[in-house]
Amino acid sequence: MYLNNFLTISLLAGSAYMLTATNAIAEAPSELDFWQSANSNEQEAYIEEELPPGIQVVATALDGPVYADAQGRTLYTWPLIALRNGSTGDRKDGASNCTDEVLRTEIGFMSPYPAGLVLPYADENVSCTQVWPPVLASADAVEVGKWSLSERADGSKQWAYDGFPLYTSNLDKKAGDVLGGTKINSGGDGGVVRVPAGPLPDIPPGFQILTSSTGRVLVNDDDYSIYYWDNDEVNTSNCVAQCLDKWTPVNAPQVAENSGDWAIIKHPSGINQWAFRGKPLYTHNNDTRPRSFDGSDVPGWHNVYTQRTVTPPDVFTVQDSALGGQVLADSRGRTIYYYSCHDDSVAQLACDHPDAAQDYRLAICGNGDPEVCLETFPYVVADANAKSESSLWSVMTINPLTGRRAEAGEEDALNVWAYRQRPVYTYGGDQEPGVTKGDSFGEFLGRRNGYKAFVLRDVFQNSQFRR
Amino acid sequence: MSQVRTETTARRMGSLALFISTLAATGAATAELPGPHLQDGRIGYVLTERHWAIYETEDRSECPQGMNSRGSRDLFAKEYSDLSEGELSVLETRLKVEGYQYHTNTATTDIYDSLPFYEAQGDVSHGLNLDGEVDAEDYTSPDGVEGVDNQLYRALGCIAGYRKDGPYWFFENDFMINNGYNRWMIEISGVDDLVNDDEVTVTTYRGLDNLFTDATGEGFVAGGTQRVDARWGQSFIEQVQGKIVAGVLTTEPIKQAKLPWSQPGVSDGYHIFKDLQFQFQLSPKVAQGLMAGYVDVEQFNHRFRTNWAMHHQNYGQSSSASEYAALRRLADAYPDPQTGANTAISSAVEVTLTQVYILHPEEQVSSSQATEPTGF
Repeated sequence: MYLNNFLTISLLAGSAYMLTATNAIAEAPSELDFWQSANSNEQEAYIEEELPPGIQVVATALDGPVYADAQGRTLYTWPLIALRNGSTGDRKDGASNCTDEVLRTEIGFMSPYPAGLVLPYADENVSCTQVWPPVLASADAVEVGKWSLSERADGSKQWAYDGFPLYTSNLDKKAGDVLGGTKINSGGDGGVVRVPAGPLPDIPPGFQILTSSTGRVLVNDDDYSIYYWDNDEVNTSNCVAQCLDKWTPVNAPQVAENSGDWAIIKHPSGINQWAFRGKPLYTHNNDTRPRSFDGSDVPGWHNVYTQRTVTPPDVFTVQDSALGGQVLADSRGRTIYYYSCHDDSVAQLACDHPDAAQDYRLAICGNGDPEVCLETFPYVVADANAKSESSLWSVMTINPLTGRRAEAGEEDALNVWAYRQRPVYTYGGDQEPGVTKGDSFGEFLGRRNGYKAFVLRDVFQNSQFRR
Repeated sequence: MSQVRTETTARRMGSLALFISTLAATGAATAELPGPHLQDGRIGYVLTERHWAIYETEDRSECPQGMNSRGSRDLFAKEYSDLSEGELSVLETRLKVEGYQYHTNTATTDIYDSLPFYEAQGDVSHGLNLDGEVDAEDYTSPDGVEGVDNQLYRALGCIAGYRKDGPYWFFENDFMINNGYNRWMIEISGVDDLVNDDEVTVTTYRGLDNLFTDATGEGFVAGGTQRVDARWGQSFIEQVQGKIVAGVLTTEPIKQAKLPWSQPGVSDGYHIFKDLQFQFQLSPKVAQGLMAGYVDVEQFNHRFRTNWAMHHQNYGQSSSASEYAALRRLADAYPDPQTGANTAISSAVEVTLTQVYILHPEEQVSSSQATEPTGF
């Protein structure tokens, strides 16, 4: 991994200031804050609760601990969300809206298009439950804690968590897969998406954990980032005097006690301060926006994660970008894009992977012409024997003209890099490292059916933590 | 810059003329302008209002054929209204219009061909004389100055979205204010006198901070601070020479400038202006006037289709494909060496900037270093 972030400053005549970029400087992966080694055992702790028989907690690479069925398949909910022209999904404490009905037409919830348009896969007899099988309970199942039973139309019982019916994804193949998830937040224009269900993180009041592109980030109740400092010692803060001008210890209440990864320490000023895994915690007084990484620009200071994602394959780089932050890029520095898609059927099925209808993607990248697509958004080609230490990244073999998985031995098949089993792309119009001209290329600024830059840090958008 | 052009720019808009006459009436006060806002010969201003310059009359006489109705809703109403549910596919409709807007250049047919496009009529427009000439296609300003170049107005003037009651007029300004990516500012340096100075330097930067507002949250107050975005904002930095005459700053053309112009949630919205010039009435607290130049047509189209969804384009009763065709037809500068087709179109932007103290990187570094803990 390499990072371009060095600038020089020169003073020009007339007391005007001009700034110019200089050559890229390489940094080793271990020096980057974004990732953790595949050998790291840092995993997020969670609050245990009573579970129905057959339900378990599984650790995942991106979403922290999630609930899974006996086979390890991640459980998802589908909370009801309002779209432009209507709402779909499941109501809390209500019955499932994901049915066996074969999907043939769009529902028209996505403005400006009317209802009744025939879906590209109308002849394939696809239903919501084929893609999202409900988690059925045995006839003698008993509700426990947040786990309740919801009755389906055919009289069968479906497990629900916190009032929302549960499903597995037909994309998940092994324990820890969360392939039914998405990088797009639910609602608005991106579709009504499924959300992995998981236990509450074991964190004290006053903190939150947010899922980001780079891991599970710790922030306070106001969404402001939490930091630690290399110059501290285990459970001992050395941040005094001028240090306190820019860093504020995170106060711990008198009534709180040490628990798991969390300890209450005495700051030299006499106040109680939270420490996480032995590291005293701070907020950065110069953070002007929530969910910031700005404090990590100060040497020796770092954002706090409960777990970070594992370093991507070494063909990828990190580039500074005019968007105001950093993006994931290929070996030439070209920004990486992922493709997002949800159809506008009542089931809001994902169309962002090679096993779904490709008509949506081909319309955007090539007006229906796959050859044009290969120029507009080319795949990131991988060596056939390339491997990834991160479970989020893999090599897929794709038929570049259909966009589907290639059959074994298929001529002209491409080995391409995929993130969460979705191929990633570069944009043909990006001519320099870090440029993100392909961002938002598609329907509803790329959120509904289109391409978004793989953003790691985004200063001006308050680091919305696109997953 | 010629004397003719200087006189032209000093009388451009009604509101600007009023502003100038007000300043002239308070000449004694303007002589004392430097004060606390002008430090070390430098004064900064941050952009607080921005709209494409569209000339509008009360009776809409500039649009005698009415407003354009050339969005996808209009297309659906004309082409598909007789068909019932289940007769049309997603591929034939939704994906057809969405795909078309991203590949207009290579498409074999204009899918909006059945709908008329209305250009703005008349010979009056806001703007500057960019080429120093008076041509048949040029406008006359509302104050009677000839030679105004603003073909973008001809293309967009009868699209509801760009007029004062339209969504682009309102939201593009709102996004400029509330999306930090768009924080754009100028610093005038080498200033001896804010009323008359025959040689100043103007540098553009992107800022890092939110705008400084009054208690209503909607008005902007002079005296705020903006840090220069030295790390990610390099591509927005330009420098040009100018002069101040009777309180009006005019500049030489910047050969090419990139201006941030993005929706929230979009990482790369900007316009490319060629021969960009400024004409701002200056006061210690406000700079107001016009930016004008030849805007790059390809980037205009790319920005529009990636920053405004088809849903929003319909609010403006337009489509990116319709606008792109009009811009290419009316483009009046920078011919492509191979095809000869013009690649840029004359334009003007009405802007207000509010005085701000600009904090440069070395000042930020000094501030940061002061906080480094010592003595452990």
